[in-house]
Amino acid sequence: MRILLLVCALAAVSASARSLMAEQADQTEQTAQAQPAPAEQTVEIAAERFSFTPSEVKTRVGTKLTIRLTSDDTAHGFRILGTHVNIEIPKRGRGVTTVSFTPEAAGRYTFECSKLCGAGHGFMRGVIVAEDAVKGEQ
Amino acid sequence: MSDSRVLSNQNYCFELKRLGIALAVAGVLLATLPARAQDTPPPAAPPPSSSTGLSGYMDFHYNKTRQEDGQLDFHRFVLLVTHQFSDRIRFVSELELENAFVEGLEEAGELELEQAYLDFLLSRSFNLRAGMLLMPVGIINERHEPPVYYGVERPLVETVIIPTTWFEVGVGAHGEVGRGWRYRAFLTAPLNAAEFSAEEGLRNGRQKGSRTNIGRAAATGRLEYVGIRGLTAGASLWAGASGFEFRPRFDVPVRIYEADVRYSRDRFEGRAQLAHVTIAGAGDLNDAIFRNTGVSPNVARALRGGYLEASYRVISGARYGDVGVFARHEKVDTQFRMPSGYLPLEEFDRDLWTFGATYWPEPDIALKVDYVHQRNRSAIIRAPSSFNIGLGWWF
Repeated sequence: MRILLLVCALAAVSASARSLMAEQADQTEQTAQAQPAPAEQTVEIAAERFSFTPSEVKTRVGTKLTIRLTSDDTAHGFRILGTHVNIEIPKRGRGVTTVSFTPEAAGRYTFECSKLCGAGHGFMRGVIVAEDAVKGEQ
Repeated sequence: MSDSRVLSNQNYCFELKRLGIALAVAGVLLATLPARAQDTPPPAAPPPSSSTGLSGYMDFHYNKTRQEDGQLDFHRFVLLVTHQFSDRIRFVSELELENAFVEGLEEAGELELEQAYLDFLLSRSFNLRAGMLLMPVGIINERHEPPVYYGVERPLVETVIIPTTWFEVGVGAHGEVGRGWRYRAFLTAPLNAAEFSAEEGLRNGRQKGSRTNIGRAAATGRLEYVGIRGLTAGASLWAGASGFEFRPRFDVPVRIYEADVRYSRDRFEGRAQLAHVTIAGAGDLNDAIFRNTGVSPNVARALRGGYLEASYRVISGARYGDVGVFARHEKVDTQFRMPSGYLPLEEFDRDLWTFGATYWPEPDIALKVDYVHQRNRSAIIRAPSSFNIGLGWWF
C-alpha cells in the first residue's frame, strides 16, 4: 500500500515538475532570441532484453535525427509510435541498422520494441523529446 | 491476535482492494481516451497498430547427479502470444509446459500460465497492468530466456529463496522516468505459507493464479536503474500475509528484500545478487503443520541467499558463433535463523560452485555445459554434485 502510494506520489511529482519546467521554459522563450536548429544529429541506441540505452533522446524540431541501432542479444524492433518508423534491429554481432526521423512538432515521441523479444518485451520503451529550437538553446 | 489488530488488517485489506479496483478502472478509462492525449504528438500518417505475435523458447537438459543415473528432460516448452489492440492497449501471455508431460494427480510435468496480462499504456512514466504477472524480484524471474543466462539450471538462490519463475494474479503500475529509472509496483495474491519447507524454501508457496486466496493482497515493488549501457541495478521488496490457511488463529507475514546488479561490457559480464527473507510466525506455522500431519516442515524465520558470477566470451563475433565461460559461487541457507525451539537442518545450509561454458552458434541458440560442486554443513548428508548439458533456444 505504502509502495503504491509512494509510486503514485512520485508520478504526480514527476508530472508537476515537468509542467513547471515547461512553464519556465515558455517564460524564457519570450526573452530569448530564436536560434536555428542544427540540420542533423546522430544518436546511438543499444537494445538488449529488456531496455534501450539511452531510453531518452533530446532533439529539436526540424533536426534530422539519425538513429544508429545495435543489439546486444536477440533481434529487436524499433518503432516510433504515430510515425512510419518501424525497423528491425539485427541480432548481436550482425551489424548496425540506421533510421532517420525529423520531428515536425515539439513533443514527446514514444518509441518501443516492435519485435517480441522475451518475457519482459513490454518494458522496452523510450522517448524522443523534441523541443523548439529556442528552448534547446537554454 | 487482538481484535483491534484483526480489525486493522481487515481495513488495510479493504483499502488495498479498493485501490486496486480504482487503479484498474482508471487505467481502462484513460487508455480508451483518444491517442492524442498520449506523449506522442498527433501522427502525420499512423501505421496500422493492431497486430498479433507468436514467439517462444525451449530448454532441453541432460542432468547427471553423482551416484545416480543420468536424466534427460525436455525441461521447458514455452510459447508467448501477444496482441496489440492499439498503441495504448496490449495483451501478453506466456504458456509453459514444464518437463514435457502432464499427468493428473501424480508428480510429473506442469502446464503453467506464467503471464497473461493487459497493459494499459498511459505515458512513459505511468502505465497500468492487470492479469497474471511476473513478480518483479531478482534477475532471472523477468528475464529467463535460456540464451541470456549462463548455466544449464537457474541459480539455486533464484529457485528456493526467490521462487523463480514466480507469477501471480494481480494489478499494478509500472513506468520509467528520466534516463533509465524504472519502477514496478504490483498488488497480487500472496504466497501460501502452508507449503513452505526447509529444503525448498518459499518455492512451493506459489499460488500460481489458480483459485488463489486474495484475502489480504501482497505488495511488490522494484526500483531499477538501466541508464548506462550494459548495466542493470535493482532492488525489490515483497510483503504479504501468507498465513491465510491458519487465520484467524495466527498469520504468517513474509517479507523478501532483494538487491541485484548485472553489468556487461564487450566480452565480460558480471552478476551479483543478495536476497533475504523473513517469516514472522514461523514457529506457529511449524507447530500447526506438525499437529495436522505429524511432520514439522522446520520452516526458518529467516532465509538468505546470494551469488556472484563472472563470465567472459573467449570467442566473439566468429563466423561459427560465440563461446563464453563462466564461474558462479552461491550461498543458500534456507535455515538461516530458526524460530525458538527449532534447530536448523544443516544440509540446507549450502554453497555451490558452478563452472561451465556456453556455445552460441547464433545469438538465439545456446548449448551449455556445466559442473556444479555443492557442499553443505551436514556431517551426515552429502550434497549432490552434478554434471549438466543443456540446449536452449529462442525464436
